[in-house]
Amino acid sequence: MGRIAWLPRPLPTTIVFEIGYRVTDVPKLAASGVSCRFGDVLAVDDVSLTVGRGEFVSIVGPSGCGKSTLFNVISGLQRPTKGGIAIDGVDVTGETGHVGYMLQKDLLLPWRTVIGNIVLGASLTRGATQDDRAEAARLASRYGLGQFLNHYPHALSGGMRQRVAFMRTLALGQDVLLLDEPFGALDSQTRFDMQMWLLSVCRDLNATILFVTHDVDEAIFLADRVIVMSARPGRIARELPVGLPRPRTVDTLTTVMFIDIKREVQAALGHAEAGRAAR
Amino acid sequence: MTTSTTRPRRGGVARALGLLALPIAGLAIIAVIWNIVIWIFDLKPFVLPTPQAAVRAIGVNWSTLAPLTMQTVLETVYGFLIGAALGFVLAVIMSAMKFLQRLIFPTLITSQAVPIVAIAAPLVILFGFGMLPKLIIVAWIVFFPVAVNVLDGLAHVDPDLVRLSRVTGARRVREFLMIRLPATLSPLFSGLKIGATYAVTGAVIGEWTGTPTPGLGTQLLKVNASFKTDVVYGVTFLLTAIGVLSFLIVMAVEAISTPWTRRTTAWRGFRGAIDGYDGAHGSGMSPARADGARTGPQTVGEPDRGQ
Ligand SMILES: Nc1ncnc2c1ncn2[C@@H]1O[C@H](COP(=O)(O)OP(=O)(O)OP(=O)(O)O)[C@@H](O)[C@H]1O
Ligand SMILES: [Mg+2]
Repeated sequence: MGRIAWLPRPLPTTIVFEIGYRVTDVPKLAASGVSCRFGDVLAVDDVSLTVGRGEFVSIVGPSGCGKSTLFNVISGLQRPTKGGIAIDGVDVTGETGHVGYMLQKDLLLPWRTVIGNIVLGASLTRGATQDDRAEAARLASRYGLGQFLNHYPHALSGGMRQRVAFMRTLALGQDVLLLDEPFGALDSQTRFDMQMWLLSVCRDLNATILFVTHDVDEAIFLADRVIVMSARPGRIARELPVGLPRPRTVDTLTTVMFIDIKREVQAALGHAEAGRAAR
Repeated sequence: MTTSTTRPRRGGVARALGLLALPIAGLAIIAVIWNIVIWIFDLKPFVLPTPQAAVRAIGVNWSTLAPLTMQTVLETVYGFLIGAALGFVLAVIMSAMKFLQRLIFPTLITSQAVPIVAIAAPLVILFGFGMLPKLIIVAWIVFFPVAVNVLDGLAHVDPDLVRLSRVTGARRVREFLMIRLPATLSPLFSGLKIGATYAVTGAVIGEWTGTPTPGLGTQLLKVNASFKTDVVYGVTFLLTAIGVLSFLIVMAVEAISTPWTRRTTAWRGFRGAIDGYDGAHGSGMSPARADGARTGPQTVGEPDRGQ
C-alpha cells in the first residue's frame, strides 16, 4: 500500500488499492461503481473501469445498454446515481470541462464555417483569438480540410463533417476524448478511410480515447482493449485486450489474431444479447 | 416578358428581370380582371375607378400625398421597430424563466383578442394626439407574431447542441449569443415578416382617431367623405406598397444576416497563413496526402492501402 497523501482529493477505494509511489501509476481515467438510474430504468449498473494514459478503449454493447449514458456521466453532463469519476486521480464527478466529448451527431453549427466550428469551444468559454483560428486552420489543413476552411457545413460531405466535429473535439485541448459512434452514419468505404485517419491522428496526439461503436471490426481494429457491455442494465460483461501490432493496415483485418478476437467479442455480445431477441 | 422563355443567366439585370417577371405578371392579371369587371357591370368611376385611374390620382395629388406618406412610413417603421424589439425581449425573458412565461403569456394572448379599433380612441385620451398612440398601436400588432415565433424557436433549439456547449464549459451569455440566438433567426424573421405587413394597418387605425400630424390614414377618411374614389384607391395602393416594401426589406435583411443559407463559403472568411498545403481536394480522405505538397512520402498517415 503506497502513501497517497499527495492526491488532491480522496479517491474511491476501487482506484486506490494498488497505487504505488509513482504518479504515473494513477490511471488517466477511472470510473468506480458508476450506476445511473432514470426513474424505473436502471441504465448503467455498477460499472468500474480504468483507462491508462494514451490507451484506446473501444466499448461495444447492444443498443440501449447505457453506453451514451456512461459517456454523459464521464463528461459530467449527467450525475451518476452512485459511483464517481476521477481523471488523473482527481474526482470530477458531475463536473464538465475535463474531457473532449463527441456526441452521436456531428452537431456542427450551420452558421459557422469549418474554422468557426473548430474553435467553438474557445468561442464559448473565453472568446476565440486569431491564434485559435490559426491553430484550427493548421489542424484542418493537416488532416485534409485545407481547402474548406471557410466553407459552411452544408457544403461538406458526411465524412468531412465528421472530421470537423472531431477537430472541434480536439481543439478543446483535453487529452481524454470520448467518441460516441463517430462514424456510425458513414458508408463503409468512407468509414474505413476515417478509421485510418483516426489511427494516424491518434499516433500524433497520444490522447486517451474511449470509443463507442456497434461495429465489432471497427472496435477491434482501432483499440488496445475492447469492453463488451451487457444489455440493460448496462454492466461490463467482458474485457478483451487487443494485442494486434501497430501500425494497423487493411491487412490487419484478415489476420488470424484479429479473427480470434472478433470471435470472442461476438461470443460475449451474443451472451449480452441473449436476454433479448435471439439473432 | 420574353426573358421567361429562356433560362436567365446567373447575376445581372436579366436575372433580376427573370425573378420579377412572374410577380409583375400576377399584378397585371389582377389589373386586367379589374378592368373587365368594371366594363361588364358598367361601374361609374366614383363607385369603382380603374387601377390606372387610381395610379394617375397618386401622380396628380403627389404634392399633397408625399408628406402624408412620409408621416405614415415613419409611424410604421418606428412602431415596427419598437414592437419587434419588445416581442423579442419578451420571448427571451419568457424562455429563460418558465415562471414568467406562465405569468405573462396568457396576458399577451389576451392582448391580441382586444379589438384594436376599439382601444384606439381610449389610447388617444391616455397619450394625446401626438405620434405616441400610433406607435403603441403598431407595436401592439407587431410584437405578438415576433414574440410567439421567437419563443417557439428558443424552445426548439436542439438539446444536444446545448449539451455540446455545456461539455465545453460554456458561459451562459456566450451560449445564448452563439447557439440559441442564431438557431432562432429563422423563426424570428418569420415573425418579422408577418409583423411588417401588419404594421401599416396599425398605423392607419392609429391615424383614424384624429391627429394634428395627418398621414395617409387620415387622408383616406377625408377623400372617402368627398367621393374622390380614385384617390381613395390611390392612397390604398400607397399603403399597400408600404407594407410590401417593409416585407421585402425584412427579407433582404434576412438574406444578409443568414449567409450560410445561400453561400458555400463565408463572405469574409479566415485568411491567415497556413503551413502545409492540403492536396486532397473533394473527398480528400487520405491523411497521407495532407502534407503531401511539402513532405512527400514522410507523412502523418498510416500507409494508405485502402485506396
Ligand atoms: N435522460 C434520460 N431520461 C430517461 N431515460 C434515459 C435518459 N437517457 C437515457 N435513458 C435510457 O437509458 C438507457 C440507455 O440509453 P443510452 O442512450 O445510454 O443507450 P446506448 O447504449 O447509448 O444506446 P445506442 O447504442 O442505441 O446509442 C435507455 O433505455 C434510455 O431510454
Ligand atoms: Mg448511444
